[in-house]
Amino acid sequence: MRGFLTLHLGRTALFLVTCTSVLAVFLIFLFVVREAMPFLAKFSIKEFLTSTAWYPEAVPPKFGTLALLVGSGYVTIVSIIFAVPVGILAAVFLSDIVSMKIRNIIKPIIEILAAIPSVAYGFFAVMVLAPWMQEKFGFSTGTNALNASLILAVMALPTIISVSEDSISAVGRELREASYGCGATRMETIFKVVIPAAHSGIIAGIVLGMMRAIGETMVVWMASGNAAQIPSPWWDLSQSVRTLTATIAGDMGETEKGSPHYRALFAAGLLLLVIILCLNMVSEYFLIRAKQAGGKR
Amino acid sequence: MRPGIRIAIDKIFTVVAGASVVCLCLVLAGVLGPMLWRGGSAVAFKGTVEFRKMQLVLFGRGDEDKIAAESRQAEIARAKIYSTIEKFKGGIDSEALIDKAKQIYRQFGNDLRQTDRTAEEVAELRSVTRQIRDRLESAFASSNAAEVNESLAYVLNFKDDPRFKNTSAAGLIGLAEQYSKDIHGINLAERQRYYQEIRQVEDILTELLGPAPGTATPALMMNRFGATRWDLAQKLLGQLCWYEEWIKQGPGQPMVKRLTPRSQRFAGTEIEGLFIYIQKNLPEMLKPKPTFYWQYFIDDSTPGHYFGGVGPEILGTLLLTILAMLFVVPFGVISAAYLVECASDNLVIRIIRMSINTLAGVPSIVFGLFGLAFFVLFFLPLFGAPSKGCILAASMTLAVLTLPVMIRASEEAIRAVPQTYKEASLALGASRFRTFVKVTLPAALPGILTGVILSLSRVAGETAPVLFTGAVALGPVPKSIFDPTRTLSYGSYDMAVGDKLAAMVPHNQFGMVVTLVLLILCLNTVAIILRSRMFKKLAGH
Repeated sequence: MRGFLTLHLGRTALFLVTCTSVLAVFLIFLFVVREAMPFLAKFSIKEFLTSTAWYPEAVPPKFGTLALLVGSGYVTIVSIIFAVPVGILAAVFLSDIVSMKIRNIIKPIIEILAAIPSVAYGFFAVMVLAPWMQEKFGFSTGTNALNASLILAVMALPTIISVSEDSISAVGRELREASYGCGATRMETIFKVVIPAAHSGIIAGIVLGMMRAIGETMVVWMASGNAAQIPSPWWDLSQSVRTLTATIAGDMGETEKGSPHYRALFAAGLLLLVIILCLNMVSEYFLIRAKQAGGKR
Repeated sequence: MRPGIRIAIDKIFTVVAGASVVCLCLVLAGVLGPMLWRGGSAVAFKGTVEFRKMQLVLFGRGDEDKIAAESRQAEIARAKIYSTIEKFKGGIDSEALIDKAKQIYRQFGNDLRQTDRTAEEVAELRSVTRQIRDRLESAFASSNAAEVNESLAYVLNFKDDPRFKNTSAAGLIGLAEQYSKDIHGINLAERQRYYQEIRQVEDILTELLGPAPGTATPALMMNRFGATRWDLAQKLLGQLCWYEEWIKQGPGQPMVKRLTPRSQRFAGTEIEGLFIYIQKNLPEMLKPKPTFYWQYFIDDSTPGHYFGGVGPEILGTLLLTILAMLFVVPFGVISAAYLVECASDNLVIRIIRMSINTLAGVPSIVFGLFGLAFFVLFFLPLFGAPSKGCILAASMTLAVLTLPVMIRASEEAIRAVPQTYKEASLALGASRFRTFVKVTLPAALPGILTGVILSLSRVAGETAPVLFTGAVALGPVPKSIFDPTRTLSYGSYDMAVGDKLAAMVPHNQFGMVVTLVLLILCLNTVAIILRSRMFKKLAGH
């Protein structure tokens, strides 16, 4: 009886500790919403999402986050365009082309790339890359969308590589050997058999990389130039943009606690959280599919 | 398609894929290389005598007598510069000269009152002296050589006048003599320009060699010493020897920088040769020596990180990370143990797993907002602590941030323990709890440690979560965990973007970020080695 009790009590205690993560997620939501609530109740949410005018200190203040949202999306998409080809090729190279020995050398390099803190990347962007770009390409400012996107691409790469490599490796030998048996070259095998079979995992990796890029603060704050505008023409990467994260980080230090500006920043944080959650669900969906696909084989 | 082409395409593909990995390595080298190179110069560089003086004054380091002897030697080499400039200025600084003449005249007037001369004598002397003074002033102010010479000649007529012998008015004539010597070789028409440019030269010299002897000690520490480093001195020397102009090319076009040798700007004067003298003798004036300034990692710094090191930042970062680890390790390990050992695949566990994944995806800036809203504004006041950013709030925020990393790493480590270990223990009659504590946990410990180190490195580099919860750019060393602290991460940001003063000391900017990167790289290397050793051991090799 005593053993039974201790077992169950112990289990319950362990369970409660394990629930900290749930509690943490709950508290994060609760407190961000709590601080943002007065703003959401008072200001029009439609204007918050569709206006491009972010003038929080004007009279009356204007809180339109569209330009910031576009800025976030802009640098994220450009960085993903840079990162995906390199990431998938690198993943394929590591899983299918090189020997275990070389792989064991390259893996730590990717890990180090992931370990370098974002503020160090931001520092590099401002102090090294920006002056170089300004001089080399004659941009009016070195801190622009291109600079931020390049650095974000480097930061998203390790995530993309490791998740896609896992799922590419999980594609069984049988599939590959069947393809080789039909006379396909390695490239044909990879593009026509392996990558289609591993697509769920690769997509999950890309989405996770996007999450990293959208949520990244220091790099975009330091490297993107912080001008709240929608780039026009849209392909001109040498313009400054401003992202949601950079706005929160940059403005919070200057606001008074409880002011509409402060509340608006929490609302922006909530918006960011919702975007990330949606992306998270997408990545979860693809990860589960990847797992199931792996299980079937 | 012909097989030959297919194979060629395949080969090209292999090369391209290889190139992408090479590109990754290049990116890593390209990011770390310049930063390590330039940051390394914060610690290993050629220090000048000014550096040793600064160390003595700020930190009481070094042999006082030796440094004094060294700086005396340097002073001797520098003396020529100051005397040359002083002399040159004697010819061109007309305001100072006029002031001097006026002062002498006033002094003479006072002196006259004390002597026993008659009123008429005094009046006459006064009028003569006033005339001398006026002519002298016009000589000082004029830019016409003939006019100047005429005025000077007039003044010098009185040289042997017995009335002025041994009186203070003789100073006026001395002034005139000195002036006629000084302006020898100076184009008087350029006097105004000379005056401005010599001021510029003096400013650069102050930066290069420290305040000129005889001037008051500046209030700010950063102005009290000359160039402390040889590379800085070289840069200043360039500024000193080359005059920089921005020239308009035309309307609407950007200005173009033009450099002319400064000696040309002073052509024909004594200053012309000074620049070559400085160039040649700078090593003697500054006495550069290879210096390894390891104390960079323990020293406090002056405002703007102008002098000194990153000691408080390292201390703050370590305090934050270690405290965060103390909070997160128990929760992380217990959660992982529960998820591996006790949990079955049901709805509750799925919710827990989803929460962990969500937590891992939450952007760091949202953690910052959460830390501000929950820990700073809600949690701390609950316990009567002041509601402001502090180490405790920041480290708790970081602990929440790193919880998923910790759980995943521990879970992986516990799962990696072979089933046979547990079965052997259970078969010996040990309870499940006992088995976990005595068998599984020790076997998984290296893996858990790896997770701890990886979380440490992640926490040490995070900036956004501590922005509003306890990091400051400037401030005293914290006395308790209820004080805010400086950190390496926020310091790196602030030095790169926020601090104008820091832009003048690029080696310190890079030094800060390199300290952070090195700290994290060391932690990661340890983690990577530990992990590979653990996997070898568990695989039975």
